[in-house]
This record gives sequence, C-alpha cells and structure tokens, in this order.
Amino acid sequence: MIVGEQKPISEIKQIVAPYKKILILGCGTCVKTCFAGGDDEVAVLASALRLSCKAEGREIEIEEQTIERQCEDEFIQESARAVARNQAVLSLACGAGVQAMARRFATMPVLPGVNTTFMGVLEKPGLFTEECSGCGDCKLAIFGGVCPFTRCAKKLINGPCGGSQNGQCEVNPETDCAWHLIIERLKALGQMDNLRIYQPPKNWAASLSSGPRKLIREDHVI
Amino acid sequence: MNQRSKCKVTIFHCINVFGDGDVLPVGDAENVAVNFVKMPCSSMVKDVFLLRAFEAGADVVAVLVCAEGACRYVEGNLRAKKRVAWVKALLDEIGLDGKRLVLFNVTAGDTPTAVEYIRKAYSLAAALGPSPAAGGCRPGVGKAG
Repeated sequence: MIVGEQKPISEIKQIVAPYKKILILGCGTCVKTCFAGGDDEVAVLASALRLSCKAEGREIEIEEQTIERQCEDEFIQESARAVARNQAVLSLACGAGVQAMARRFATMPVLPGVNTTFMGVLEKPGLFTEECSGCGDCKLAIFGGVCPFTRCAKKLINGPCGGSQNGQCEVNPETDCAWHLIIERLKALGQMDNLRIYQPPKNWAASLSSGPRKLIREDHVI
Repeated sequence: MNQRSKCKVTIFHCINVFGDGDVLPVGDAENVAVNFVKMPCSSMVKDVFLLRAFEAGADVVAVLVCAEGACRYVEGNLRAKKRVAWVKALLDEIGLDGKRLVLFNVTAGDTPTAVEYIRKAYSLAAALGPSPAAGGCRPGVGKAG
C-alpha cells in the first residue's frame, strides 16, 4: 500500500488560510490503513482545525467526507456535490489522489493534507516499512521475495557488503540487512544457487528516473 | 447563575473506576459544570471524542482509567494513555494548551482516590480558566451526503 503521514497542523492551517469553507476529504484505502487520511483522521483534523480557528477568533466552516478511493473517477464523483458546496478541498489522500481530484475539479483548489512517503507494508501495529521502489523491473523472484533495490541502503544486487552485524544494516542499525534476509529466505527455499546468477547493473530506464511513466492496457482501452 | 460563568469539565471514565452508586463531587461547590461519560473500557476514548468534548465547551477534559496492569481488556488503559498523550500534543500545537487534558489511573473500587482526582480536574479548570475555544464553537455542518 501507499504509506503517508498527515502534515503538521501548522502547515495545514497555512494551506487552508485563504478559505472560509473547506471540505476535508478522506480516502478509504491506503492512507486509511496507515492512519493518515481515513474517516477517523478526517474527523480528528476537522475537530482540531475548528478548535484552532475558534481559539484564534477565525471563522471556518468544515465539511467532512471520506470516499473509497480518490485516485479513481468512479469514486471521486461521489464527492462532487460536497466539493461544489465549498471553496477548497483539503485532500487527505496520497499525491496521486490529490492530483486525480485536481484533474476532475478544474476550478476548485485541491490542497494536500498528507505527505506521501513510500510503498510499504504494515509490519506490526503502528510500524510501516518501505518495501518497493516501483522501479518497473521486478527481480523479486531471484532475491527470494526481498528487494535489495529498496531495502539495501547501498542498493547492492550481487551480494552483501559485509558490513552488517547480527542481521542489522551498518548504515542504520535499526534496519534489517536486506541481504541477510535474502540469504535466510533463499536457504529456506532451497534456492541458494540464485546467488550464483550474476546481476547486471540495474536498468533504471523503467523507473521514475526517465520521467513519469504510463501503463497502457490495450485490452481495456476503448 | 449563567451556565457559562461556570468552568466546564468533561470526565471520561472506565466503568470499573467507580460504580453507579458511588457519591461523586458534582461540581456545585467548585462552581463547575461537569459531564461524566461512562465507557465499558477506557480504550474506547478515541482522539476525536476528546477533541469534541473541547468543541462542546469543556475547559478541562479528564480521563479516568484503571491502574496499569489491571485493565480487564489487558491493554485498554495503555491505549487510552497513548491517545491522551497524542491529543495533548495536538492541543499544544493548536494553541489550546495540552494541560487541559489529563489522565488519572485509579484502582477499581478506590472511590476516595477517584473523588480526589475529580476534584483535581475541577481545580485545574479553575486554575487554567476558560478554554480559548470554549463557547459556541460550531461543530461543522456534519457529514457530506
């Protein structure tokens, strides 16, 4: 899932300062799971903003709504009436959701309330870790399901650096060494021979380095 | 007496902290208007409930939870403690003063201690004075349809 965190309230206040009537729009998928932009976070942020404005003697009217996904028109249209009633939308979706909303509502300011951080997993309650860089050329089959491009601080792809200690990365001892995990996993899978396969330098052309990417599924294009 | 001339205190409490029959200070002597909110477990006190208590005009919000290690749902009071800490930081950030939100651990059945903490909340409200966001704060226009 896409992981993000809500912006500091001081920054949000600055962003919404020109408006007196705003819609705080949550997204019920990724950012809900990471406690950044679901219906609970919408309610808390709305309440905090109202209190803050009241304390400062500033008037603000806040409407709250959460839709299933802000990155798809099908769900975005559910917010159309609420959007029309307000001067601006404070979106608690990821950057893709904010931009999809902005594209849909050409004359409505759509403002970000979340810093989109990474693609990752919920490792344990309250802990989210980055697992995928979206490089466009997945090699997880070779690495036993552990991505060294994302999870090795040095992005090594032909074996460990040798600096890890007790399975922890020497760059950040609080992070598991990706290569330690790869080797443990390949041992468990009986696929240690994978380590004999030479990995040529990564072709980053398929990544964001070559600019924004498009994915076209011709069978779905009409 | 005008209602707003009184301090307002909202007390969220676990059902175990004191029983329905216990005699508690209702705030008349301290010139406090108090609102008790009883919960099956203090873990049910969500962030937004605490904030909305302030929106409803509370000058101080107190959360009375079981003693640590004594929650019948194992970790409910620990969750409440973390949420209270989080909301206190948020209150500081928005200029409401995190001191207006307090949490007390009370051993089940220890009514005298519960009474003492309730009085502490009343004293705190008197000491801090009216919340800058109290009185007539509009709770928005509700959920969008």
